[in-house]
Amino acid sequence: MPMPSSHPDESTAVELDVNGELVSVSVPPRWTLADVLREKVGLTGTHLGCEHGVCGACTVLLDDEPVRACLVFGVQAEGHRIRTVEGLAKDGALHPVQKAFREKHALQCGFCTPGFLMLAVSLLEQEPEASSERVKERMSANLCRCTGYKPILEAVAAAQTEMAARP
Amino acid sequence: MTVAARGSADSVGQGIEGVEDERLITGQGAYIADISRPGQLHARIVRSPIAHGRLTKVHLEDARAMAGVVAVFAGGDVSGLDAWRIPHRVAFGLAMEDLPLFPLQPILAIDRVRYVGEPLAVVVAEDPYVAEDAAALVWTEIEDLEPVLNLEEALTSDNLLFPDAHSNVLIDVPFGDAEATDALFAEADVVVSERLSIHRHAATPMENRGLIAELGEDGRLSVWGPTKVKHFNLRAVANVLGLPEEDLRFIEPDVGGSFGARGELYPEDFLIPWLALHLKRPIKWIEDRAEGLVASNQSREQYVDLEVAASADGELLALRSHNVCSMGAYFRTNGAVPPVLCAYIIAGPYAWRAHSARGTGVATNKTPLGTFRGPGEVEATYARERLLDIVARRLDLDPVDLRRRNLVDSPRPVAGTVESGDCRTQFDGLLQHVDYPALRSSVSTRSADELVGVGVACSEAATAEGHFESAQVVAERDGTFTAHTGLASVGQGVRTAMGQVLADLLQVPFDRVAVTHHDTDVVPVGEGAFGDRGAVFGAGAISLAVEDLESKARAATGDRFGVEPETVVIESGRARAGGRSIPLWELGVSGVGRFERSIPHDTNFVAAIAVVSVDRRTGKVTPLRYVGAYDVGRVINPLLLEGQLTGAAAQGITGALLEENVYDEIGQPLSSSFMDYLIATCKEMPAIESLMFSFPKESNPLGIKGGGNSGIICTQAALANAVADALGEAGDLVTSLPLRANRVRELFRVGGLG
Repeated sequence: MPMPSSHPDESTAVELDVNGELVSVSVPPRWTLADVLREKVGLTGTHLGCEHGVCGACTVLLDDEPVRACLVFGVQAEGHRIRTVEGLAKDGALHPVQKAFREKHALQCGFCTPGFLMLAVSLLEQEPEASSERVKERMSANLCRCTGYKPILEAVAAAQTEMAARP
Repeated sequence: MTVAARGSADSVGQGIEGVEDERLITGQGAYIADISRPGQLHARIVRSPIAHGRLTKVHLEDARAMAGVVAVFAGGDVSGLDAWRIPHRVAFGLAMEDLPLFPLQPILAIDRVRYVGEPLAVVVAEDPYVAEDAAALVWTEIEDLEPVLNLEEALTSDNLLFPDAHSNVLIDVPFGDAEATDALFAEADVVVSERLSIHRHAATPMENRGLIAELGEDGRLSVWGPTKVKHFNLRAVANVLGLPEEDLRFIEPDVGGSFGARGELYPEDFLIPWLALHLKRPIKWIEDRAEGLVASNQSREQYVDLEVAASADGELLALRSHNVCSMGAYFRTNGAVPPVLCAYIIAGPYAWRAHSARGTGVATNKTPLGTFRGPGEVEATYARERLLDIVARRLDLDPVDLRRRNLVDSPRPVAGTVESGDCRTQFDGLLQHVDYPALRSSVSTRSADELVGVGVACSEAATAEGHFESAQVVAERDGTFTAHTGLASVGQGVRTAMGQVLADLLQVPFDRVAVTHHDTDVVPVGEGAFGDRGAVFGAGAISLAVEDLESKARAATGDRFGVEPETVVIESGRARAGGRSIPLWELGVSGVGRFERSIPHDTNFVAAIAVVSVDRRTGKVTPLRYVGAYDVGRVINPLLLEGQLTGAAAQGITGALLEENVYDEIGQPLSSSFMDYLIATCKEMPAIESLMFSFPKESNPLGIKGGGNSGIICTQAALANAVADALGEAGDLVTSLPLRANRVRELFRVGGLG
């Protein structure tokens, strides 16, 4: 017969750099970064679609690289720059990727959208001249159930054009 | 119903961006998991590890002993709970009283478990991680029973899921004219028979289910999370919990897709509110994906024994069909739909002289089955269109020619109605768009080196389902207008599309209207979102509400200005008469509308062409192109509609080729994560095109037709026909789905291909 274990989780204090701001929170070590962002930092834009690392709805940027926040521990993220969907718009102006998603109707229910936005941002920052094949390759990391992907790829292409045109 | 379409045309027909989008792209959405209530506790469901067994004891002691755990309940613990059952909601083709009661699901398993994933206990804790830990400490004593898994065996097996019933058959409905059909078969030149099978797969929206229930100080219970059919669900939950309906309030949050599965009543819909009432604290429950893959309704698993009687020169004479559907362990709220609609719609858009069909649903020890986009329709279309290609091959006819020869002029009407639409024009339009003869010959040329195929499918989609919808339109003090609609939003853009309708009817700019649908306190009556009904029913109700508002405005203006109401003109938000005007909100009027129809649905013609290549070594099917042709009537928002049609087609494509809920020989689900249950990424998607034809509907005020689900109807059929075409002589072996690489390789082996 299994024995009851004793709880609660011990929390540890960490300071997380989230969208350029240092946030002090107290988190149990086994909490995922996704749960820390959502429940402790109060940013619920990062969504959980599977918690197995497959669907990518939880994609955030860690030092500008896309990661599955459901597979990273919150405490692991200390000392790294975390960027989430809430940090994309600046001074009320949408990021070109956000604008493009809206214009191309690249979202319907919107649940997978934050993950795709972060994935697209990291791609366009790192490989601004990525070919459409390369864009498709990188975007294939995330799942969408509503759109069939066609408008998502069109939005990324449109954002790519706009970002290239900017000084 | 005589409201004439009028008003401006500035909004309807425009591809206006979704009003919902701004919040969602900035991460400001409020999906159920994003919502928290002060003092909330977290619930975690304990689920059966075994597919079929006698549940003798549930051990809760270890879970209860864990620090942070507030309560743990099993089915036998709660007096009265064992009598609760999830009710039927849709009878489809039958009277509600004829649906069996014995296979309705209890809230928590009592003395039997019937599928892996069936709820049998619930843990409530201060923290969701603790709740999950504690749930793992609940253990059960279950005597294994042999599971019923094979569909054909289940029909006649005396291993009964419900020992008090005669058999595992849950529903069995005939359609058509068996006598006339049999007579035609007896005389026919050619009879072709086949069993076509379609596999179990599921709606699988990206967001999992969730609920929060909270008892207010006023004694009213608020529940966040319901969607789709909030009003029906509220009544059902109130009834089971013994609460007056006025004391229950359902609030729809942002919803991450439904496709038929979310929003129906599940055990949790009763359990979570009950916990809030009992523990007097807010209770939050969020399903995770591993759970969702066994606990949320699955769909599609049917085989169809289908026969076609034809003349030697290609006239389709008669169709005889029996579809058998694997219902899973319990009869869901809308479980009747897949087996019954499949039989109801099997004949399709063809001029058969007679047909007969029978739809049977049988219980199996799998996750219960409900609707998934185009329920029964996808299955029926796949079976019939696949068999028609086999018939075409037998008669040495091109599959397109066989169809053109036998198509009806316009979709078959439901009794007493006249349907608008022109099947031949629409089908020819599709063929012209892809330049079918050139496509055929280019495929033949390619086939020398690679296996490439073209597949065609035609069908009818049942849209605009339901009986009524309600709306209220209010003129607000700030000069804007709000429509409160009983529809639900599951991501399909209700607020945008209905806003466009409202703006045009009132002749005001789009940015001066708003639409709400979330809260049953604000919209106490409604039917909801399913069966492609949003556009027709939502717009119909709003149209009537605007008419009512304007009629009241005319009367009030007449009183104010001392003129006859008929002389008052309403335009752009004002009432005018004799050189004077008054803004509508000043009159303090609002309008209500209830749009009703007695016909059960509309019927739209759908057709599609798919092109695939099949790898000779691996059997992998690559879809290259998919073109669907749809009759969309008068389109409210082309951007939203195209999005729906593309998304629906994509779901059908990934369903035909990749997704599957697999069970092993003891009923253990093997598709327990997205690493097993495969959903296509953008790399697997072909180019998808949607051709829109418009044959506006006479019988509804704005000429609108339903459309969002049509995109999926022909997908599996067209793809299967394309793969069969690619396999050439071995093509007739393509009779079951999905067309995953390993299964296609098996066809190579059996068919003697390289």
